[in-house]
Amino acid sequence: MRYQNATAYRFLAPYLLIFSIFWLWPIINSFLISFQATRTVPWRFAPTFNWGRLIGDPAFFNALKNTLLILVIQVPVMITLAIVMAVLLNSPLLKARGLYRFAFFAPVVVGEVAYSAVFRLLFNLDYGIINKLLNSVGLPRIDWFSNVTPAMAVIMIAVTWRWAGYNAIILLAGLQSIPQDVYEAATLDRVSKLKQFFYITLPLLKPIIVFCAVLSIIGTMQLFTEPFLITERGGPGGGTETLGLLLYRQGFRSLNFGYASAIAYTMAGLAIAISLVQLWLTRDPK
Amino acid sequence: MAAVTLKNVVKRFGGFQIIHGADIDVNDGEFVVFVGPSGCGKSTLLRMIAGLEDISGGEIAIGGKVVNDVEPADRGIAMVFQSYALYPHMSVEQNLSFGLRMNGNPKADTERRVKRASEILRIAELMKRRPRQLSGGQRQRVAIGRAIVREPQVFLFDEPLSNLDAELRVQMRVEISRLHKELGVTMIYVTHDQTEAMTLADRIVVLNAGNIEQIGAPLDLYDDPANRFVAGFVGSPKMNFMAAKVVGNDDDAAVIELANHGGARLRKPLSGARPAVGADVVLGVRPEHFFEAGEGDCDIAVKADVAEHLGSVSYVYASAGTNVGAGPEELIIEREASRQRANGDHMVVSIKAGRSLLFDGTGARIR
Ligand SMILES: Nc1ncnc2c1ncn2[C@@H]1O[C@H](COP(=O)(O)OP(=O)(O)OP(=O)(O)O)[C@@H](O)[C@H]1O
Ligand SMILES: [Mg+2]
Repeated sequence: MRYQNATAYRFLAPYLLIFSIFWLWPIINSFLISFQATRTVPWRFAPTFNWGRLIGDPAFFNALKNTLLILVIQVPVMITLAIVMAVLLNSPLLKARGLYRFAFFAPVVVGEVAYSAVFRLLFNLDYGIINKLLNSVGLPRIDWFSNVTPAMAVIMIAVTWRWAGYNAIILLAGLQSIPQDVYEAATLDRVSKLKQFFYITLPLLKPIIVFCAVLSIIGTMQLFTEPFLITERGGPGGGTETLGLLLYRQGFRSLNFGYASAIAYTMAGLAIAISLVQLWLTRDPK
Repeated sequence: MAAVTLKNVVKRFGGFQIIHGADIDVNDGEFVVFVGPSGCGKSTLLRMIAGLEDISGGEIAIGGKVVNDVEPADRGIAMVFQSYALYPHMSVEQNLSFGLRMNGNPKADTERRVKRASEILRIAELMKRRPRQLSGGQRQRVAIGRAIVREPQVFLFDEPLSNLDAELRVQMRVEISRLHKELGVTMIYVTHDQTEAMTLADRIVVLNAGNIEQIGAPLDLYDDPANRFVAGFVGSPKMNFMAAKVVGNDDDAAVIELANHGGARLRKPLSGARPAVGADVVLGVRPEHFFEAGEGDCDIAVKADVAEHLGSVSYVYASAGTNVGAGPEELIIEREASRQRANGDHMVVSIKAGRSLLFDGTGARIR
């Protein structure tokens, strides 16, 4: 038995080696780096240098606030939208289901840069189609990228556009695993379609919804591309700077690796904490 | 309490016609079983009565009221599904009360009904469990309980026992029978198991490929089937069918010669029209209607291939002759005791004209 185990580990060794060097070590090392002052040569151990700065840094709290704001607005909106899309996709009345399924999923496949460019064009002040539409119904044009609130809205809309379909497809799989006869039994029990949705579909879909929510929370905590490309590095004036952007700015622009590591660990810790709270809130009552 | 009447009911799925004009009268308080091979349309018929499938043609009435356009919930029926269809995220108690709660039924009445159902089915100690914490038999009880709680005029069962093991199936069969006596309501029950049909039914509806072959009391179907399909479907083991030819005719009988038994002849008294001399016919004999040599009207010799000894009876699997284009004619013969050895032994058994049925080439009964 022990011999067999040893053989297994020998087969696993190449993977474990690469895993350790390129995955495990950076994780550990960045944790260690977060306790070092990295603006001096050589780096020196200073436990409060980065973490102390973090808890008093207005830029950090600005990025944290922006990230959490996007999180609490965008994730629920997107999940709700995804559920609606999944239910529509699952409707027997729908024709050309495959086409819609593809269309909803397609945004994930589009390159990030291309999609960001399209969103910048859509929301362009002078010739963007969104402002044209607003004008055509008599509303004033909005300068999307010069004010914080509209800029945040653009980011949330963009992220929602990109990921709602992806979540809808996952939810659709969950919907399809609910047996049809449960609904038939409910129909015989005189339960309306709407009540069936709230009392049967949603509870049975809950594990999948939680799964999607946790995925989205993790994704949004790391939000980077959209504020980097669409609102031009967290503009206007840091109004859309997220933790991901701050990390990038500290690590790759200022080459302050210690502080960047501390931010990275904060992001990961927050994502885990929020996901755990989410799981705990939606746990099955025993 | 309600009778259920089907008048020339037709079902089409797209261009495919599945039910070809069914006429069935289920009396108030009766236990009727729809039986037939897989895919013959039993479930479809039941679901049309429930309102889960719409009706392509004809008329369905429950309690004298045509329900073609009545919502499923307003038909006064309750249905028990083969897969139980319990709400997985609700406790047994919630499963039973869900429909009533959703419809604003007074709390006290809901509790009374749930309590009564749980007592009838003896599931009181399971009330707090979820469906996945129940055994198959317990789940089936809960599913039946959910139907009872609705206090319907008609119960519909779609193969409720087919997911249970053999022993539990017998037990639940008895319970459903007891339930019918206790509640006294109309029940329509779908199964492809003829034993279930025979033991439960007041009357059986035999379906085949969307057509009703015969409707009748279990023993009537057994003794007096309308055609070869019913004769073969009702009874276990199945009736034996032997190829034969009409060789003579007189006023009140036909003489037939068995094709695979060395010219053995049987004079079969008939009351209806005589078949023409030379016509190919089929003689049906149940396994339990073979007698000792010399005791019947016609002796035949067969080769006993295999014997199954069940204790009280034995079934001998025998063969004789060769049918054109097929192997030897296979017969199942019931013997009383388990003395019969079978390793190619020859045995002689006897057929009685009064204990055999005659069918024409199309499978219709010749009486
Ligand atoms: N929704 C549907 N669309 C098309 N054809 C269907 C549909 N439902 C059933 N059928 C067809 O109708 C026929 C009867 O089906 P049904 O389910 O009533 O059979 P059944 O007698 O209940 O069989 P089983 O004993 O296997 O349950 C089958 O040939 C089936 O393929
Ligand atoms: Mg069926």
